Amino acid sequence: MDTDLDRDLLSDLPQSIIESILVKVPLVDAVRTSILSRKWRYKWAAITELVFNDTCLTSGHDKSIISCNLVNFITRCLFLHDGPIHKFELNTSYSPASPDLDQWLLFLSRKDIKELIIDIGEDDWFRAPSCVFFCPKLTHLVLVRCELNPPPNFKGFLCLKHLSLQQVIIPPHDIEVLISSCPLLESLTLSYFDSLELTIRAPNLKYLNLEGEFKDIRLENTPHLIGISVAMYMTDDIAEHFEQCSGCNFDKFLGGVPCLERLIGHIYFTKYLSIGNEQGNFPVTYQNLKFIELYQVSFEDMKELLVVLRLIVSSPNLEELQISSSSITTTTDIYDLEFWERDWPADCTFGKLKIVHMTDFSGLPHEIAFIKFLLGHSPVLEQMIVAPTIYVTDKVVKMLIDLLTFRRASPQATVKFIQEPL
Amino acid sequence: MSGGPMAIVKPEMKSYIWLETADGSIQEVEEEVAMFCPVICRELLQNGKGSSKNCAISLPERVNPANLELILEFCRFHQVPGRSNKERKKHDEKFVRLDTKTLCDLASAADSLQLRPVVDLTSRALARVIEGKTPEEIRETFHLPDDLTEEEKLEPLRNMTDDPRIRLLNRLYARKRKELYDRKKLKNVDAEEEPRVDERSVDDLLSFINSGDQDSKGVRVTKNKKKSRGRKEQARNLSSNNEAGNYNKESNCHTSGCLNGDTNDGSSPSRNSKLQNSPSAMFSSKLDLDDFDIDDELDPARKEEIDREVEDFARRLDSVWPERIQQILSLGQETRRLRPISMNGNGSMKRCTAGVDLG
Repeated sequence: MDTDLDRDLLSDLPQSIIESILVKVPLVDAVRTSILSRKWRYKWAAITELVFNDTCLTSGHDKSIISCNLVNFITRCLFLHDGPIHKFELNTSYSPASPDLDQWLLFLSRKDIKELIIDIGEDDWFRAPSCVFFCPKLTHLVLVRCELNPPPNFKGFLCLKHLSLQQVIIPPHDIEVLISSCPLLESLTLSYFDSLELTIRAPNLKYLNLEGEFKDIRLENTPHLIGISVAMYMTDDIAEHFEQCSGCNFDKFLGGVPCLERLIGHIYFTKYLSIGNEQGNFPVTYQNLKFIELYQVSFEDMKELLVVLRLIVSSPNLEELQISSSSITTTTDIYDLEFWERDWPADCTFGKLKIVHMTDFSGLPHEIAFIKFLLGHSPVLEQMIVAPTIYVTDKVVKMLIDLLTFRRASPQATVKFIQEPL
Repeated sequence: MSGGPMAIVKPEMKSYIWLETADGSIQEVEEEVAMFCPVICRELLQNGKGSSKNCAISLPERVNPANLELILEFCRFHQVPGRSNKERKKHDEKFVRLDTKTLCDLASAADSLQLRPVVDLTSRALARVIEGKTPEEIRETFHLPDDLTEEEKLEPLRNMTDDPRIRLLNRLYARKRKELYDRKKLKNVDAEEEPRVDERSVDDLLSFINSGDQDSKGVRVTKNKKKSRGRKEQARNLSSNNEAGNYNKESNCHTSGCLNGDTNDGSSPSRNSKLQNSPSAMFSSKLDLDDFDIDDELDPARKEEIDREVEDFARRLDSVWPERIQQILSLGQETRRLRPISMNGNGSMKRCTAGVDLG
């Protein structure tokens, strides 16, 4: 069996396996296989995924030399490559000069590229050449820190399923057109946009991730949305703008998403939704909404509280709720605690609610009333976890005692009080 | 599927199916375990095989009893629905702690059975083996032959300074040389090893200069696979390039020497080199395919390809050909014979320059 042991183990495996192996190895190592043996000369050149990141950098201290070497490496790899390229990822803090990047993108646009991920430079914005808009088979596009200017004859990415733009400069009207011209779009991520007024029309959209300073967001045609995560940063002029806004933000944003399953709202989200929200008006129920996570909810603002209540009452199948309170406390002493008995009928139950997690709890009257409300109306509750904020230390024991005395609708509910480690 | 033809019905009421590996050994496996595998699933459902010992599902050739055992173990673990992701991951980590030979066999077998999870697992394990090792270590682990010449290994470095057009030219010349030599060989039945050895050393030298690895490789392959069948046809079809071929035989060293002398004062090699790299690489990979894979059937395709290459090459040369002519003219009188090639591709000069301008 000696001859068996000496037999070349690897070279005769089918190309699909070799490709499978070579894409899991850093690209530099994959290229190095070309000097292993005759058969391996160009095996690396047929892989369909090229990932250039910090593993491709030569060592040294001179940034311009390292940058130059990287550019040469990428250029040579692309030209030695043979066959279609399905994925190209460039992830480095060095910014290749514009002509190089443009040529690479032009080359890729002719190679049936499907996934394009470009995240370069820490300070510079690169200008995406028009060839990026004419990659017909593109399914995944991730661009960071670039300027996008769709040409006038751009008809859209007909195969695009995943779009992620971070810190991208694009004319506001164009971003809406871009989104609506991608009929198969399933996942959209927009980060760090400034003062954006956005109407999203994406009939197949399933996952939406927004982060930035948004003036106005409207989900107009997104019937299949399953997951939403929104973080809205507020500056003073946006806050002003909000006050003057007309129409109900809640309806504009969550009015057309009946299939929603997960909702995550970061800072100011509830404040945003609270504008224009009228009490007692719940046209839409979210039958599939099982998981709600809200951050920085101000329990001192009745309007925000109303939003939270509206959300949970419209979600009969809600299973898990996580709320973190806003740390901004004012010194109002007036709390309308009658509100709870008066406006919320005793027969509203949260039939599927199992887990509630309250963080940054500071013992505000409405917070406590809210917990009491939940405990009393959740027949299948299993866990109520309360984590106090680090700023409140003296009232902790009293709060704990209060919580434990509340009536629980669910026999197996446990109330846990977790002290976050300092 | 269950019922009459079932050979064995175990007390737990599980159904079993029969699988046959390439070496003829038959074993029976729980149906639910085997169904995890798409190929087996398809055979069972569409072709109705596997229900008895006589019509056992015959598995693809690359599956032998040893790796079938491993595959079934994998399927047996994963087809149980209740396991957590963590458990599955732990099992998979342990599962791929195998020696490299077994890993390769397993990958091959899993691929033929279209069992994607096992292919991914084994690929990742093999990737971990390859990653970070020096070429010598990799060759040792996988028993790869170290069959590149020293010059070839250094090639990537050489690419930067050589003029790619000259390399292309020499590569094609070397090819014609090979064809002609083969033709000669056919006439001369008892071809000696001796002259060939000389020939090859010249080729080696040339390839050293030109980084045209295909030349030496091509000749070596001819030595190993003496297929005289297709050669006659090929050689005949190269009538259009015969002149160049003849020219080659006479003044090879001289020309290549001269042309190589020009590399250093190249007017715009750096500008064009990037563009030129791609056709040369393209050609070499095509040559690669030819030489190693379907040698016999490729003859008409090969002829076309050679014609295409020459045309392509000519087109690309066209852009700065007049310059080159001047230089070559001053060095020798044979240059005149080269003209026929360049005349072919005049029309696409515009395209070539346009391509150059991009850079």
